[in-house]
Amino acid sequence: MASSSGNDDDLTIPRAAINKMIKETLPNVRVANDARELVVNCCTEFIHLISSEANEICNKSDKKTISPEHVINALESLGFASYITEVKDVLQECKTVALKRRKASSRLENLGIPEEELLRQQQELFAKARQQQAELAQQEWMQMQHAAQQAQMAAASASAAQQASSSQDEDEEDDM
Amino acid sequence: MSQNKDDLKKTISLPVSRVRLIMKSSPDVSSINQDALFLTTKATELFVQHLALSSFNNGSGKETKTLSYSDLANTVEDTETLHFLTDILPKKILAQDYLRSLEQMQEEDGDF
Repeated sequence: MASSSGNDDDLTIPRAAINKMIKETLPNVRVANDARELVVNCCTEFIHLISSEANEICNKSDKKTISPEHVINALESLGFASYITEVKDVLQECKTVALKRRKASSRLENLGIPEEELLRQQQELFAKARQQQAELAQQEWMQMQHAAQQAQMAAASASAAQQASSSQDEDEEDDM
Repeated sequence: MSQNKDDLKKTISLPVSRVRLIMKSSPDVSSINQDALFLTTKATELFVQHLALSSFNNGSGKETKTLSYSDLANTVEDTETLHFLTDILPKKILAQDYLRSLEQMQEEDGDF
């Protein structure tokens, strides 16, 4: 049901969600289509009702954000006090979830190392590793050079020795 | 950590994001605390259950296990806390009432 008009007033709770709830509340009951449509629209009205009331209460309280307290008071003043107990259970769960999240993050902090420090240490390790690699590469290079030099020298002395022996032969011939 | 969010989702069946959009489309409503949003969503769920259940129990379809539009309309009329819904319910006027009001209007016109 894509509406290109984008009209705010067309916002409703998805039909499927309402149907599911009706089915769970009234199992085995046949519900007329226009009745379902009506429930969907009633939902939107209800949300507007609660928001407006909670908003008014919020404005009177000097706070800028509608809080759970404001919503609860709104329910009370609009005659829906019977909902409050169950609604408060949800609030308790919210707090539990928030508490668990805080505990999880503080456990990491309790290592004694804040995140920035861990990051810094990581960078240090990377830098060290890079340096070690560079040193290793240089060592290998120098070894290769050294080996090459030695090979050169060996070749040079070998040819020098050959030359020396050939010139000795010439001298011997002169003496005869 | 995502398991905590799932626990909360189990208690709430309506889409929280949609509820938030509807709330924000209310005039003058600025910011809503996240927990307040969850509360409103839960309250709306309870409302649906309440409306469906009392309409069925007070309605004429109990024996036939049906819920009709008029069951809902009647419950809204009979329950004071639900009177905020009368505007979205086209009133079911009895034919005789309509005719009577029509006669009244004609009489008024006749006075000139």
